[in-house]
Amino acid sequence: MHEGNIQSSETEPVSSSLWRDAWIKLSKNRLALFGLFILLTLILVSLLTPIIAPYGYEEQNLALGATAPSSTHLLGTDIFGRDMLTRIMYGGRVSLMVGFVATSVALVIGITWGAIAGFFGGRLDAIMMRIVDALYALPFMIFIILLMVVFGRNIYLLFLAIGAVEWLTMARIVRSQVMSIRNQEFIEAAYSIGLSRWLIIKKHIIPNTIGPVIVYTTLTIPSVMLLEAFLSFLGLGIQPPQSSWGLLINYGVETMEEYPWLLIFPGIALSLTLFALNFLGDGLRDALDPRASKD
Amino acid sequence: MYKSLFSQTLNSALSCSKMFFKYVIIIQALFLLSSCGENETNVSKGNQSGTLYWGNGTEPQSLDPQIATGVPEHHVISTLMEGLVLKDRKTLQPRPGMAESWEISDDGRVYTFKIRNNAKWSNGDPLTAEDFVWSWWRALQPALGNLYAYMLFPIENAQNYYEGVVSDFSQVGARALDDQTLEVTLNHPTPYFLQLLDHYSLFPVHKETIEKFGSADQRGTRWTYAGNLVGNGAFTLEEWEINRKIVVKKNENYWDAENVRLNEVVFLPVENVVTEERMFRAGQLHVTASLPADKIAPYSEMSESPMRISPYLGTYFYRINVDVPHLQDPKVRKALAMSIDRKNIVEKITKGGQIPAYAMTPPGTMGYYPKSDLRYDPEEARKLLAEAGYPDGQGFPVTEILYNTNEGHRKIAVAIQEMWKQNLNVDIQILNQEWKVYLDSESAGEYQISRAGWIGDYVDPNNFLDMFICNGGNNRTGWCNQEYDNLILKVAPAVKSHEERLEIFQTAETMLLNDMPVIPIYTYTSIQLIDPSVKNFDSNIMNHAYYKDIYLEEQD
Repeated sequence: MHEGNIQSSETEPVSSSLWRDAWIKLSKNRLALFGLFILLTLILVSLLTPIIAPYGYEEQNLALGATAPSSTHLLGTDIFGRDMLTRIMYGGRVSLMVGFVATSVALVIGITWGAIAGFFGGRLDAIMMRIVDALYALPFMIFIILLMVVFGRNIYLLFLAIGAVEWLTMARIVRSQVMSIRNQEFIEAAYSIGLSRWLIIKKHIIPNTIGPVIVYTTLTIPSVMLLEAFLSFLGLGIQPPQSSWGLLINYGVETMEEYPWLLIFPGIALSLTLFALNFLGDGLRDALDPRASKD
Repeated sequence: MYKSLFSQTLNSALSCSKMFFKYVIIIQALFLLSSCGENETNVSKGNQSGTLYWGNGTEPQSLDPQIATGVPEHHVISTLMEGLVLKDRKTLQPRPGMAESWEISDDGRVYTFKIRNNAKWSNGDPLTAEDFVWSWWRALQPALGNLYAYMLFPIENAQNYYEGVVSDFSQVGARALDDQTLEVTLNHPTPYFLQLLDHYSLFPVHKETIEKFGSADQRGTRWTYAGNLVGNGAFTLEEWEINRKIVVKKNENYWDAENVRLNEVVFLPVENVVTEERMFRAGQLHVTASLPADKIAPYSEMSESPMRISPYLGTYFYRINVDVPHLQDPKVRKALAMSIDRKNIVEKITKGGQIPAYAMTPPGTMGYYPKSDLRYDPEEARKLLAEAGYPDGQGFPVTEILYNTNEGHRKIAVAIQEMWKQNLNVDIQILNQEWKVYLDSESAGEYQISRAGWIGDYVDPNNFLDMFICNGGNNRTGWCNQEYDNLILKVAPAVKSHEERLEIFQTAETMLLNDMPVIPIYTYTSIQLIDPSVKNFDSNIMNHAYYKDIYLEEQD
């Protein structure tokens, strides 16, 4: 009991100052702040969409058909006469949710798996990484289709399914980071003051892997969003009249010569998110990398 | 003819398969290279060398005429093989093919075909009446799994032989009296029998070749490969690169070779209609298989448009699984059918001059104009749904529309989903499946409502109505009406006069529409881009091309 109390009082100020430092560094990075601002706005809009959307996302007006942006339909309408602004707002809900939930799933599994394998090394590492290799070899489409067949079509399951295949690379990245960190002096120091292995992994090793992890995360989110569009197109993801940015773009490409606005606006929404994520990711990496502070 | 993958080509489609995109990119890169180098397109090259570049929609599943079922297969096979009778390219009236003449007995049951003296296989072997008998024997082998075996059923005892009731093939009504004379006896006088002979399931196949590469009833042997295949058509198979191209070359042993003006036909399986249209614009194709719906308007505004829209003998419809509890009541099915605004669908979504369909058989099939009291009437539909126990859609379970993955089908399903929601307040889900999975689900009855299309194999209402006999292979709705079966199978084939026959079809069709196991949506049109250099490619309601007639004329 005593030991535990001492440890927490010792480690707590250290970690909170790490985050405070990070925030200070981040707030000096304008691009990263801009990214954060865009992301928060998009998330806010997504949350408020059912209240602020000008039309219903499934409301058709076949007689109207596809019309260019106008004062009644700010971003135009699609071939069913559905308001594009509304469609993009609702699509954003799905896309952002897929992006964040699936990536979080990948993060949690990938970091835990990679950290354990890298930290313990030896036979455990070999077994764990061979499992990763085996899963890599499994064609990912078949894996997802299998999951869908067994558990049925369900949007939340789709998130999980995508996350469950995206964690493999994450596990490898984390493992290689951990292997290079675990032999350094500060880890030995942590051992010497009697920290448990689990606490060392949690408090010392994982924070030190954060740079590459964040970079990889900002790359994973957009690829997950596109993956969702691909799966939905094959009938495994979300189904009409619901939509997502990836799907809107998919359909927009087809008629880009006739109705360019069907491609341009969802395209802008997706690219904006990706830029914001990349800026923020860049900033976060600089801010959180403990080694960067020495420079 | 089952509306197979080809359906992708009629409506606008966006194939998202990665492999496919890779293929398209490679193709386009090749074209870029060639066009940069010599500034010469396929079309200009082809016009000089007599090579027709044909957009064929999808890669054929097989070139074995007794296994194939789709439209892309039809195009290739019809260059490689020829039946007893060809059809006129405009009127579709029979004209001599392998048979130079034929006689029909007074009772209409016995056909005697005189096979031409100079009928030869592409390897020079003479083609005899016995070849037809053997080919039809093969077509009726159950082990071959010929989905079109029923095309031969008008022939006496063919069905019995296929089903094992008769084991001796000599009892089937196809006899070679001598090398040049084929006598065919039918169960009933069948007015469309001559038309059937131009369908590939009744084409002759070369016995020696087939037996060289496997047994006669073995599927997927190598006999259809380039270099192996021996046919009797105006062209021979020169090259077959899977998913790239099929090249057929003029057959010098063809009986009418002197009148065949094309030297080569190149079939390109371009599945993505958007890509296909771009290839046409770049001069890489003489003829496209279709045109995306959204491109129709710009093409129709052009002064000398290469676009051709012509009526097509086919019906786009929804099947309803009548075994699903809440869809058992015909009132529910009628309510669904009555709340589809077909006019808006054809005008705003398909946009290709399709005709709203209120009956299964396309109007004007052999002079048959089906009468139907089906109409767009949401008021009446709500009333019917209330009578069936779902006032204002309350308590109506969420219902699923199944379609095969295709952009055009998706659009129609999305529109209908919303129409049913608006008019009946019922919740609909949309589910797409890949073509083969979709077919399996449909055949196994694992669906609630599913989209379907049927393209006529021959011009006769029978082709659209005999699908829905009890347990018919293409019925798939679970609907079964003995009285209907009796009309289609017994009464209609036995009557003498054409008018009487049409009346019986009308009675049957009314029966079908009263129970509404299928919801007709529209009658197809075929929409193609055709380069002005392509001559003698006339439109007809079956969209059959007679390649032996086509020629290319250089444009200035």
